[in-house]
Amino acid sequence: MTPYNRNTLIVGLAAALVVGGIVSYFASDKPDGLEKTQEDLGAAQPVHEGLDAPPVAFDEYSLKWLGEGFWGNAVAGVVGSLLVMGLLLGLGHLLRRKRGDTAAREPSQSAS
Amino acid sequence: MHIASGFLSPPAWGSMAAVSTAAIGVSVAMHWRRLDERKVPLMGVMGAFVFAAQMVNFPVLAGTSGHLGGGFLLGVLLGAPLGIIVMASILVVQALVFQDGGIEALGANVFVMGVIPCLLGAAVRRLWSRRNVGLFADIVTVVAAILGVLAGATVVILLLTWSRSLPGSVTLAHALGVMDFVHLFIGIVEGLASVAVIRFVVATRREAVFAGAALSGGEAIR
Repeated sequence: MTPYNRNTLIVGLAAALVVGGIVSYFASDKPDGLEKTQEDLGAAQPVHEGLDAPPVAFDEYSLKWLGEGFWGNAVAGVVGSLLVMGLLLGLGHLLRRKRGDTAAREPSQSAS
Repeated sequence: MHIASGFLSPPAWGSMAAVSTAAIGVSVAMHWRRLDERKVPLMGVMGAFVFAAQMVNFPVLAGTSGHLGGGFLLGVLLGAPLGIIVMASILVVQALVFQDGGIEALGANVFVMGVIPCLLGAAVRRLWSRRNVGLFADIVTVVAAILGVLAGATVVILLLTWSRSLPGSVTLAHALGVMDFVHLFIGIVEGLASVAVIRFVVATRREAVFAGAALSGGEAIR
């Protein structure tokens, strides 16, 4: 990996972990704009059959066995950030221009 | 702004799922084996950052909070197709792991928080590819971000109305008024925060942001 790409990862991931793991603990717990609107309009209850979420260790953004304190929130922020990053690095790897690829020899690519 | 489980009727979530699946398919096709190597870590960390930023609810008006959507800044920094791919990934993790947003509502949520703001972000992307970016770009970007949030909020109300999830006594105009009023304030925060993040990333990762630009927004950097 080039130093450029490594630094992108380090700085970006650090920012995500600080925001998701620490800053988010101090977030407002009031309903968000859509939830509040649904409450105000008397439409807060689901009226259709929905799909159930799969059983996981998380209860929204806290860990089931750690409750809603700082650490449950921190684990949710860190694990969620890492999951999203891992998923996207995998997708990015699939989408990446490969050496010797026909797509890489298209004229539109030579300028970059 | 995640639509929870049980609020959309099958025709509503089904058609949104079809539209968003098509948008993701086109996005993948546009970058298939053409993605610049420098964009891979950028999309990874931008996804992680937007996921994290969405956890930070800030107070707006009385008894209400808002959080960033983040799709808009992804559209500016990555272009619409990559932005949509990143936003869809975030929403899938949120729905499957954190019970944030209904699973059947995923397509609708991808459209509202991904497709719409990513397209608006991509529309102002060109302004940021210049060497010297001035106050004009900041202002246009904030306005576009607000429009993205309001457009998304409007689509949510239309979908809820289509799904008969709002009481019959509530008029569409009233519902739109309530929803868009609060989202105007959320949109202003979204716009200001987006400009701050965009300025930082463009200043430090310009090459990655605009690499292979012919494929990700139509602009060249030199």
